[in-house]
Amino acid sequence: MAIDSLKIMRAIMEGSKIRDEKGIIPLFGVYLSLYFTSYYNIVSFDFLSRMGKRRAEEAEKLLIGAAQECGYSTFHGIRQSWEWEELVQPMLETVDDQIEGFLAVATAFGWGGEIEVIDLIPGNRLHFRVHESYESAGYLKRLGIAEVGKCYMLRGVAAAFMDLLYGDAYPDGCFTFSAIEPFCRAKGDTFCEFIAEKSST
Amino acid sequence: MFIDWQDKLKRIGNRVVLFDIPIAMHCHHYNINLHKMLEDSLGLEGVRLIYNAAEESNHTAFKIMLEEYPLIRSDKSKLEFAASIYQHCGLGVINFQDVGPNGGRIISPSSHHVTGWLAKHGLRKTPGCHFTRGWIAGALEAIYDLPVGYFEVREMNCKMMRDPVCEFDVRLKGGRHGD
Repeated sequence: MAIDSLKIMRAIMEGSKIRDEKGIIPLFGVYLSLYFTSYYNIVSFDFLSRMGKRRAEEAEKLLIGAAQECGYSTFHGIRQSWEWEELVQPMLETVDDQIEGFLAVATAFGWGGEIEVIDLIPGNRLHFRVHESYESAGYLKRLGIAEVGKCYMLRGVAAAFMDLLYGDAYPDGCFTFSAIEPFCRAKGDTFCEFIAEKSST
Repeated sequence: MFIDWQDKLKRIGNRVVLFDIPIAMHCHHYNINLHKMLEDSLGLEGVRLIYNAAEESNHTAFKIMLEEYPLIRSDKSKLEFAASIYQHCGLGVINFQDVGPNGGRIISPSSHHVTGWLAKHGLRKTPGCHFTRGWIAGALEAIYDLPVGYFEVREMNCKMMRDPVCEFDVRLKGGRHGD
């Protein structure tokens, strides 16, 4: 059975409208918040700026790492949830199908618009394209054309997907993979692309 | 005041929007990771960055949202609207009953960031609701038609420190209540 991304997206849109009495959204095994992308972009890009050129590499690593650790925990929670069990699990034929399920969730979360897998080599390489990353849009709007890719959250998440599927069993597999962003709309490319492969260190 | 949340929170093409403003859904892992990363890397400057980002983004968004609802005229209605947005975004519960254009006190009995922080890192020794402080400042500045930076919001009690509620003190920047 193919992954029905629309069904997953609809379920998340509906689920994200349910709050408990404390104003918290418990969905897919995590606490979800809905907030303006401008906030996340200010945080990321002002952080880079405050860290300065001398600490730029460290800053990028921290942003990617924060997202990768998050993606690893979040999507682990998601695939342990009853919502995943009931909604997505029946659509999965192979372990690799989970990637399509993860990407449908990422689209539903508003992270990047349409997302398409270019290539998946199980255990080795994931390559996907994102058409409307909020990070690239935010960078362009706030700071103009960039020299390097600016979608740190999606870079971390791309690697986290591979960590979950092909790294050691949770919680020991995080940072097995790392991702690059060869194309980014913030650099003037027409889309953003991410390639996750085994980390060299 | 009736707000059709089904209509206000929706997908437009590939974007997810609230009142046509792009939003992202993120879980407590990411929000708290960013929070901790900023505190660990930049200290007080990182705390200020979270506050300022929440203040600026919320101020801009509330301006747009309030313009869309011109029938929300009274300050009381606008504060109710703000509390409703906070809850609707899964950020928690916030009570604005003792605040005005000159400042005041605000109580939050529960929040996404408190729940998330406690789940990931346990109790803190210092108040930790930097996002909510900035969120409050931006919302109030938009509601009272004031510029960003007009208010300073401090957290007097915090559930991350085992206090029973989070309590915020709103003052005009410079230290004093306006009255």
